[in-house]
Amino acid sequence: MDAVEKELDRLTGKANLSKSINDIDACLELLLAARSTIEAGNYPNEATLSAFIASKVSAVGYYTDITGVFSSDPSSTASTVSMVETQLKAGFDKANDSLKEVYGGLNKYGKALDKKFKTVNMSDYDVLSSHQPLIDRAIAMHLLREGNFDIADTFITEANLAASVPPSLETQFREMYYIREALRDRNLGPAIEWAASRREQLEARGSNLEFELHRLQYVVYLFGGEDGGPLKALEYSRREFVPFQQKYLAEISQLAGALLWQQKMTNSPYAELLNSESSWEAVIDSFTSEFCSLLRLSAESPLYVATTAGAIALPTLLKMTSIMKEKKTEWTSQNELPVEIPLPDKYKFHSIFVCPVSKEQTTDLNPPMMIPCGHVLAKDSLNKLSRSGNRFKCPYCPADSLPKDAREIYL
Amino acid sequence: MAAKSASTLNPETHLLLDQPLLRLPHEVLRKIFKTSQKYVEQDTKKLTDLAKDAISKSDSPEASLATINTMIVRMQGLKRKMETLHEDEKAVHSQSRKRTTHLSDLYSLSSLLEDGYGRWSKVRLDRLLVDYMLRNGYSESAKKLAKEKDIEELVDVDVFLQCWRIEESLRKKSTVECLAWCQDNKNALKKIKSTLEFELRLQQYIELVRARKLAEAVLYARKHLSGNFDSHKDDFHRASCMLAFPPERPGPYKVGTLLHNLEKLKTLIRNFTQDLYAESRWDHLVKTFVATHHNLYNIPQGPLLHVALSAGLSALKTPSCHSTLPSSRSNTASSVTSLCPICSTELNDLAIHVPYGHHTTSWVEHDLVVLPNGRVYGTKRLEDLAGKLGLEAGWVKDPITGEEWDGAEVRKIFIS
Repeated sequence: MDAVEKELDRLTGKANLSKSINDIDACLELLLAARSTIEAGNYPNEATLSAFIASKVSAVGYYTDITGVFSSDPSSTASTVSMVETQLKAGFDKANDSLKEVYGGLNKYGKALDKKFKTVNMSDYDVLSSHQPLIDRAIAMHLLREGNFDIADTFITEANLAASVPPSLETQFREMYYIREALRDRNLGPAIEWAASRREQLEARGSNLEFELHRLQYVVYLFGGEDGGPLKALEYSRREFVPFQQKYLAEISQLAGALLWQQKMTNSPYAELLNSESSWEAVIDSFTSEFCSLLRLSAESPLYVATTAGAIALPTLLKMTSIMKEKKTEWTSQNELPVEIPLPDKYKFHSIFVCPVSKEQTTDLNPPMMIPCGHVLAKDSLNKLSRSGNRFKCPYCPADSLPKDAREIYL
Repeated sequence: MAAKSASTLNPETHLLLDQPLLRLPHEVLRKIFKTSQKYVEQDTKKLTDLAKDAISKSDSPEASLATINTMIVRMQGLKRKMETLHEDEKAVHSQSRKRTTHLSDLYSLSSLLEDGYGRWSKVRLDRLLVDYMLRNGYSESAKKLAKEKDIEELVDVDVFLQCWRIEESLRKKSTVECLAWCQDNKNALKKIKSTLEFELRLQQYIELVRARKLAEAVLYARKHLSGNFDSHKDDFHRASCMLAFPPERPGPYKVGTLLHNLEKLKTLIRNFTQDLYAESRWDHLVKTFVATHHNLYNIPQGPLLHVALSAGLSALKTPSCHSTLPSSRSNTASSVTSLCPICSTELNDLAIHVPYGHHTTSWVEHDLVVLPNGRVYGTKRLEDLAGKLGLEAGWVKDPITGEEWDGAEVRKIFIS
């Protein structure tokens, strides 16, 4: 980037139109001076006029006193206009030179860009151009999920998406943002209400969200100055913790114990309860993720994750394309990419099983099979190894088994 | 080790998607420069002529003075025009500066896992979205998004708006705006040997013929098309045929023994002229214009969002994403699993059209176990869930199906 920035510096510093404007301004001054001279019936002294122009052309600033430049011989305007002609030509030459400098600067900047960015035919990577409605829908859902409701509304109108993006989605995400905003303002009420109304669903998912919210509320009361205090916390726990008693007994006892240490919490075994900033963040994240899951959506915007992964993958795909072009094949027409894309682990969502025998990924048609010794192979490999159902040896260990004892597993 | 290298951020190769960010303003600067050059050139000639004129009249101070005054007015005009261009230039400079700064930010990061990278990538997504919206004519959304995210200096609303306006005018079958654009960019178009203007003129001619204003059509062709005869011979022949054959009627020959042959001939000629009469020729003009426009501004033909998404969908997609079986890890059924972006409603249909990622090694959780129903999970995941659900000690619950088992029925499984 440094080379590009350096060339940009040249453009903003020197190689721009300001110089040629000064040159033009000098020419204008010359004309104005000539006019005054003719009006006054003076003609210029060649030496002083040249000096005058030289000073105009090289320095910025306006000439105010012209009387010294022209000597007072009233005999002719001829020498004035001929002087104007030659000096004007010189002035325009100068202006053109200044423009050449701009041209040179732009060229150098362009070259720096060429060097920085290799030209790539990006259309090779576009397999989605015929699926605009699906992309539109993905964008609308992304905007809603990000809480940009106003933009989403405009977009849904402009892209004519009313039929493919249900209005209920906006209502739901508006609720999510309302609850999140409340949490940011340290108000747990709406979140608790939401979680309570979905208690069964959340419990079936093994989510602790509702209890976590109550626990945070208890801690808030415990340290909560004027409208809180240990009594209020105790009262709250008596009222709210009952349904959770059985499942969260250990946590509730801990919270009760904390009551006693309320004054000197930092030295207590309960010091971690104090770290409320991070517990607020955790609760907000956990709420968002539960909310999206109940809508059967992923917690982070898929569009964001996918474009980021795309940017990470592009250099590898690019290298691959140049190789594949020689072989005259196209990656977009295959089932599987011909090359592995190195992605950080957080971009891996599914378990991936590559059969150690065939080196192929398993699919619905060729699923992973576990043989009795606990090793796993792809179904096709298993069939090849055993040849028409005969006993075969595990490729990993000395155990042998019958293909009928192998069973499909689900990753 | 593999994971470590996979998270390394290499800014040099990472900026593939971001070229247009600087390329486009560079073209705008060149255009500003070209205009300024033209102004200076025109006025140099004019003023030099005037100066000569002044010399020829120099025996009359009044006449000279009048000429000098004309020159002054002209010079002031030039100065004003140049100053306007300079203002535009400065705006583009400052815009480019913001963009290089934005790109340089990436160089201060070294890992794809840094929060800073996440933030940078969010801005990139917003840029890609605005670009996509502008190219598809969702102008209001684009403007709102750019404003909301404070990235107005990082997107090129004006250039795309102009492009879209001309596209729309072509869709409404008007060539005026597009011809004006051609006039504006005459030299650049000549340089890349664009046929856009010829195509537009030809369309004008076709419309005159369609309306059966034949005399007018011939005059128009003489004036605007004849200059290109050598490079478009075929088009010329077909265009002349149109004069004899209107789009709908079968032609002037109705009777006679020659009928059979004539029918044949007519069909031949119909086919010959048919695509010139075709309504789809307007779509072709729109496409040609957009391609030419993007070419001049040195920007990609399609939205970069398509490129990023195509690559990203493939990189993330696995055979499980469109499987009929529920995945054990990417699922919304439990709080210990989370849904993969490809499996989420937003992208699932779209991802059908791309190949899935290639993997040479398995990637699974530690300490895998298989449940009696054949589903495979990491031990920790099952323990976490059992803990959260408050199950009896030693028992596990399948996060997806909800079935529960005694731990004794769970067995270890080895995947390498």
